[in-house]
Parts: sequence; C-alpha cells; structure tokens
Amino acid sequence: MTEVVGHNAPRRDARAKVTGSARYGYDVALPGMLHAKVLRSPHAHARVVSIDTSAADALDGVAAVLTRDRLGAMMTTFGSLIKDQPVVAVDTVRYVGDVVAAVAAVDERTALAALDLIDVTYELLPTVADIAEALAENAPELFPEEPPGFTPHYGPGAHATLRPARNVSFEYGHTTGSPDAWDDCDHIFTDTFHFPRMHHMHLEPYVSVSTAAADRLEVWTSNQMPFQLRQELARLFSVAESVVRVHGEYIGGGFGGKSNCRTEHIGLRLSQLAGGRPVRFCMTLEEAFLTISQHKATLTLKTGIKADGTFVARQSTVLLDAGAYSEYSPFVAEKAGYRMPGAYRWQHIDTTCWTVHTNTVPAGAFRGFGGTQATWANERQLDLIAQRLGIDPFDLRCRNMLDLGEQTVPGERPIDSDLKLGLDLVADAIRYHARPHVPGRGIGIAMACKDGGGMNKLAQARVKIDVNGNVYLAAGLTEMGQGGHSALSQIAADVLGTEPARVRFTDVDTDYSPFDSGTNSSSGIVVTGRAVAEAAERARRQVLEFAAESLDLPVEQLDLRDWQVIADGVGHPLPPMIQQVYGGTGFEFSAEGQYKAAFSSETPFETQAAFWEIGWAAAEVKVDVETGKVDVLQLVISGDAGKVINHLGARGQDEGAAVMGLGQALFEELRYEGTDLLNGEALNYRVPMADDLPASFVSITQEQGHGSGPFGSKGLGEGGMLPVPPAIAAAIADAVGVQLTELPMTPERVLDAIDRRHVTI
Amino acid sequence: MSHDPDDEVPAGAAVPVDMILNGARRHADVPTNTMLLSLLRNEFGLTGVRGSCERGVCGVCTVLLDGKPVASCSLFAFDVDGATVETIEGQRDGDALGPVQQAFAECGGFQCGYCTPGMIILTTALLRSEAKPNRDEIRRWIGSNICRCTGYEMIMESVERAAETLAAESGEPGEDPDTEGEEERS
Repeated sequence: MTEVVGHNAPRRDARAKVTGSARYGYDVALPGMLHAKVLRSPHAHARVVSIDTSAADALDGVAAVLTRDRLGAMMTTFGSLIKDQPVVAVDTVRYVGDVVAAVAAVDERTALAALDLIDVTYELLPTVADIAEALAENAPELFPEEPPGFTPHYGPGAHATLRPARNVSFEYGHTTGSPDAWDDCDHIFTDTFHFPRMHHMHLEPYVSVSTAAADRLEVWTSNQMPFQLRQELARLFSVAESVVRVHGEYIGGGFGGKSNCRTEHIGLRLSQLAGGRPVRFCMTLEEAFLTISQHKATLTLKTGIKADGTFVARQSTVLLDAGAYSEYSPFVAEKAGYRMPGAYRWQHIDTTCWTVHTNTVPAGAFRGFGGTQATWANERQLDLIAQRLGIDPFDLRCRNMLDLGEQTVPGERPIDSDLKLGLDLVADAIRYHARPHVPGRGIGIAMACKDGGGMNKLAQARVKIDVNGNVYLAAGLTEMGQGGHSALSQIAADVLGTEPARVRFTDVDTDYSPFDSGTNSSSGIVVTGRAVAEAAERARRQVLEFAAESLDLPVEQLDLRDWQVIADGVGHPLPPMIQQVYGGTGFEFSAEGQYKAAFSSETPFETQAAFWEIGWAAAEVKVDVETGKVDVLQLVISGDAGKVINHLGARGQDEGAAVMGLGQALFEELRYEGTDLLNGEALNYRVPMADDLPASFVSITQEQGHGSGPFGSKGLGEGGMLPVPPAIAAAIADAVGVQLTELPMTPERVLDAIDRRHVTI
Repeated sequence: MSHDPDDEVPAGAAVPVDMILNGARRHADVPTNTMLLSLLRNEFGLTGVRGSCERGVCGVCTVLLDGKPVASCSLFAFDVDGATVETIEGQRDGDALGPVQQAFAECGGFQCGYCTPGMIILTTALLRSEAKPNRDEIRRWIGSNICRCTGYEMIMESVERAAETLAAESGEPGEDPDTEGEEERS
C-alpha cells in the first residue's frame, strides 16, 4: 500500500509538544499528593552503623520516613539478573549518592528539612575507584556475600558465570570457530582502548507519582519499560503483577536511563507508610547523575590477520565498569561481548566480558548498549592495523566486511544492509578518496553494526475500529521522543487505508495496553511495528469479511479505503452497513497482533536479531597542533532505515544519535577523582550545544529495503551514534598522524599524543 | 522590576507581585523564596513551563521577561513585580498555533518535546530582535539552550521556517525559500 508510510506526515505529538500541553511524568499531580526526597550517602563505601530518624519523624508536615527498618514485607534489593541494589541502604553504602533513607512530606522543602534531621553513623570502609583497583589483588570487596542472581540459558558458544573474580559480578563469554585459526595468521596485534562514561542527561528528571492501597499499587511514571517495571515492582512488594498498574506518560528523554526502578519503588513504599496518600518523587538533575550512567570500559583486542589484510581471529577482553550495583550490567555485558566482532568476517571469535564493581555510580542501559564501547575499540584497532600494514582503512574495511545476506554466526539473521553501499555513500559525500593532504586537516571514516531490536523481544498490539472508522491503536511502546507512536500510527493507517489523523494511539497502561517487553534497542519499528501491522491487517480482514457478507461479494474482490469498502471501483460506506446489522450505536472491529523474534537453537542468545542496525560516518577535522584542539569541519552520517516510515522521525533519530556521539568523541565525560564525582551537575557536565555542531552536518537516511519490519523497515536511533567517535579519531590520525585510543579526544589528550609522536620520531 | 534590595522582608514572608502575564494583568502574593518557575506552574497553572537543571543552565524553563529570555527556575518570583512575562502558553493564537509553534511542528524541531517550549520562546525573542537571522546567528542564539534529542539541525530549520512565515505575514517582499539563509548577510 504505502499511501501513508514514507510520506512526510507531521508527528501526532507535534501539537501537544509545541504548545507545552503534553503531559509528562513531571506534570502528574494528584489531590493530597506528598513529595519525596532521599538522603544519599556522602561516603563511597561505608558500613551503616545506625540511623536515627526520631527528629525527622517528629517534624511538622512529614508523613513518612523510610529506612532499612521500615521496609516491612518489601524485598530489600532490586536489579536485573542480579538483585544487588538496596531500595535503601541495609548494611552498607557503596557509592557517593547511594540511597540511605527517604522522606515523604507535604512539600519538597519540608522533606529536605526532614532529611537534615536524620542522623546516620557510618564506619568507613576502603574503596575501589576504578576497574584496575577493583581487580587488584587484595582489593576491598564490595559484596563479601553473594547477592541473589542467576545466569540465563544460552545457545552454542556462549556462557555466563556469576562472580568469576573478586568484584566481578558477571562474565559473558562467546566463542565461535576453532582457535587453530591463530595458526593461519601472519600478524597478530594486541591493543587496548579506553572508553569513558557519559550521563544520559535526559532533560526530564526521574519522576513518578505513586499510590499504594491494599489491593492496588499504582504509578504514573516516565519509564521506558512499563511492563518490566510492573514485574519488578510486583516482585519487590510480593504481590501479583495484576496488583501493580503502571501508567506510561510522555517521557522527556530516556536514552536508556529510564529503565528499571528509579523512583517508583521508593514512592510506593512511602505511600504505603503514609496510609496510601499519593507520593511524587522527582529527583533533581544532580541526583540523576548519582543514579545511573553509561559503562566506562577498558577493551583489549588481540587480532590475527593474514598478510593481505584478511581478518582471521579476534580475542576480546572487555572490562565494563558497572559501578556499585549490577543494574542492567549483565545485559550490557552480553551485548558488548556479542558486538565485539563488529561488521566483519572472522574464522574464530573469542570474547570475554566482565562487569566490574567500583565505588561509583551504577551503570546501566545507555543508547548503544555496549555497542558504542565495542565499536570504538573495533574500528580503532582496524585503523591501527591499516596503518601498520600500509593499507588504506577504507580498503581494509571493504576486504573484511560482511556481505549483504551473510551470517555473523550460524543461525543468526543474515546481514540486512549492503555495508559497502553505505560506506561508499559517506566516503563519497565527504570526498574521502579525493582528500587533499593538507597538514593539520584530515578525513576519516567508520562504520558500526549492532544487532537491533533487543533480545528475544516480544510485542503485542490491538487495533479497534469504531463504527465511523476511527482507529484505536493500543501497544505498550512508550513515547520518549523517538516518534514511535507516530510511526506505529502511520503503519496502522497505511494498512487500513486511512489517514494517520484517524488513528488514536491509546495511553500506555499496563492494565489495558497489550504487552511489550520495553522501549529499547531501537525496537519500536520492527518489533512493535510488526505486531501493529499484524493487528491492523487482521482488523482489515474482519472489516472486509463483514462487508463481503453484507454485499454478498467474495472478500478477495474488496478493498478498504477511507472507511469505504471498494468493490469494482465503487465505494460502499461502512457506517450504514454496520448499523444495519448491529444497530445505531454500532460495533467495534477488534484484532490483535504479535511479534517475537524467531527462536534459533544455534545462536548464542537462542534468538535471531530482529534486524541489524548499521551506522556509517565520515568526518573531516582540523587539528591545531599548538593547542590540540579538534574542530570538526564536516560530519556525514548515515543509517539504513530499510524503508522510512516517517521522514522527520527517521532523520531526527540519526542526527540526535550522531550529536551524542560527537559529544562522546570530543568532550563529554563523567569525571571522577577517586570515588568523587567532579562534574555531576548541568553547569560542569558538558553536553553538545548548537554551537558545537560541525559547520557542515549531513545525514543521509538510506532505504535499502531489506528490513524485516513493516514495508521493509528497520529500526534507527542508536546506529547513528556508534561510528562517530572512531570516524573523528580516524580523521585526527589522517590530519596529524596520531592514533588516539582513549575518549574523549580532548585538546590535552590530542596534544599529548602529538608530543609523544614527536618524541618517538 | 520594582524590587528594592533594601526592602526588609522576612524569609518566607509573602510579598505582592503584579505582572502582565501572557497579556493579562495578574496578581499573586508569593513567599520570598518562591521561584518564578514555581509561581507560573503552581499558582497560574502554566504547566508548559517545566523545570530541569534548576540551575539556569539548560534553558528548559525559559520565559520572556520584558521581552528577554530568562531561566524561570533561577529567578525569584518577587523579581517579576511590575514586569511583562510571556510563556509558551502565550504563543497560541486562539485555537491556532502561533507561527513559531507551527514551524517547529512542521519541521520536526522536537523529539521528546521537553526542551521545546523553551526553544520556541527563545526563537520568538530572536525573531523579534532579528527578523532574518542567518545560520550563525541562529546557532549562537539557540546555543544557550540544551536539546538532548534532535542534534539541533531540525530546530535551526524550524527557526528559519518561522522567520520565513513571519516575514510573509508582515508583507515583506517574497523570498525564494530555496536560497534563504545564504544571501548577502555577512
């Protein structure tokens, strides 16, 4: 059909957002609402000896004070595969910012005043600041007792281990092919790369409103994963999942951060303690910095190749700084490990990825989900190898990149983009092959490949159509800016032969919305999209079958357009037909759809990737050799949408991701001195501003047409970020001949590399 | 602003504030420790003005104070006594979107939308002072607010579209939109 899909329709949330009337979690207010604030640890590692809340309890306006002694029947810890993060500190605090106590009061000011009255006695414990300290012999142990956790079941070649070493909570390993492949190598190179961590800095803070009654725990929240949150809250409170109801509001940015419990678990317990009164818990931005981050990483790659540049074997050791608690780290470890081979062909892969605990803020889901770390190391080492062998990095990529339709590992989804096509596109756009060799100026390219659409993801959808042809689309995908609700509405409209404006995306509510495993992994278009397309197709079929009976015509001869059934070129309006059968109030057609990634007994995760998300980038830089300052003159990025559903949305996802990559490349970094966070506030934490954009910033949305989503579509949103730092690093190398292995590429780091080059020459 | 720094008002005591808010005379008695953001949201129900960094850095909460963009999170409510305040809610033309709003909607100058009211207010102030800003001026002006989603290009295109619309509405000689932005301005 594609009457609607691919056309430049404005987003359905445009009006609400440009008028300011969109309702975010931040805007939810209920009568009698209390306000929560939490007391955070000033120490990076300490035993909590005593907590005295008597003065806080007695303060006017305080309704509830939560400490370890007032958890009641609530579970003490939460997390993902490993439940090691306390709701409030029990015995130990493990990072500066760890939650020790919480207060609900008539307003935030009173809650803050009450926190000041809580008297905590700590006994300091030795700390570990980073990965190296955590893995050192005789390092202090963050979890002397093993927290509850489990490892998933994997397919061939993959394994996981809990606590493989001191301060390591999880190991993911993945092996393919035979280690004999090392014998075929003419060169073996080992290099180590460092990757810093960013903060998500979504502009809407972590915020929710919670109410607790005996038979109903209800939250209104900015959370990307309403069903996963429902599951975790039900477990924490030992209630049936049907007791928990999560309302998904508009989300003011997430980028992975708004996954898992953030404010909801504390809000609910405070509401219980306050007799069921609603509790709003809104963190400040400074608190968000103390809540979750991206994973800092050290990646060591040992790569064996033939003399002609053909890749043979790759051994990767990835150390992720998980911070104080496991959070989503096991999942990130799986994906970082799985993504280490990149977009290339290997005879043998051997990957080990550890999640290492340190006394710093926990790390969790972040746009790219391990793929950003993997791409940085992967693409950088390729460039280092190219330089050592005297091969153009473009040619080395072309020699080793996977072909369209080729499998990364047996049983996996074949690569669904022509990688060469995309690389040519960005290289030609920036005139890579015709680049003049001007001292201090250079051009670089990079590409990234990540399995998209999550792991084993499931989405369901429901389409209802009322008597007048208005469509009610229900699905569990949350709208966090990515334009998912608009795109899904367009898909449904296209299938049903109607205008997107006739489609209402119903509010996300775990009581009523069809199940969705979460808004992550660029999965909306393919995973939820296929569920929506199937539901719409089934609803369309129902309508046509109904009309076939009324018109006494074979269903195959009928088409649906603008709520008329078309037979032999003649339109038959549906409302009178429906009312004739069902009466004046009418009837609603209703159908459901579902998508789940295909099971595969051969792949490590026992499921195929829903699609492959590919990102290509080319950058031109000017490097000031006196100061080390890097100016990005041109940035060309490209993603493959397969088929664009909404042009504005597709372009916006790629550009937004690329600019996040630009920040990661040049300056954005959560800085720690020991275990103290130095820049955990908006003024000191630098994110890209409009002034930071390259003079020329071009994004090219490809439509290669091989996607597994509706109409051949694929997901976007992460691929645009991944190749940007390595492309800029390659451009710096082209400009001044230094190969950086650590992000961000600050003037100091660039200058230092230039100085060292001069020393060695 | 009529506030005299020598006035002695006990902390937390209410002081009267009179202002022109989105074109209408409004009065409130506000405690001295109330921020403008809080007054606008909680007293006047203008919930399109939202907080984020609460340190005057990110620009989410931008409103116009006597025509100039300010961070409402970091301005005391009593400071706007006697002033004119404009928020995103004042942008609408009855039921219709204002020209800047329309441009952002059409050009996709938003994603999560959380920074959008601030960006639209910022654009309004820019276009009042410079009807035909070039790309560099737009970039510098928009560079005071953070958008974490869009990568800014589509916001800057929205600003350019809004400038075109306003120019057309004010009966300026028509410009070929294809060459817009590059003509002799520098």
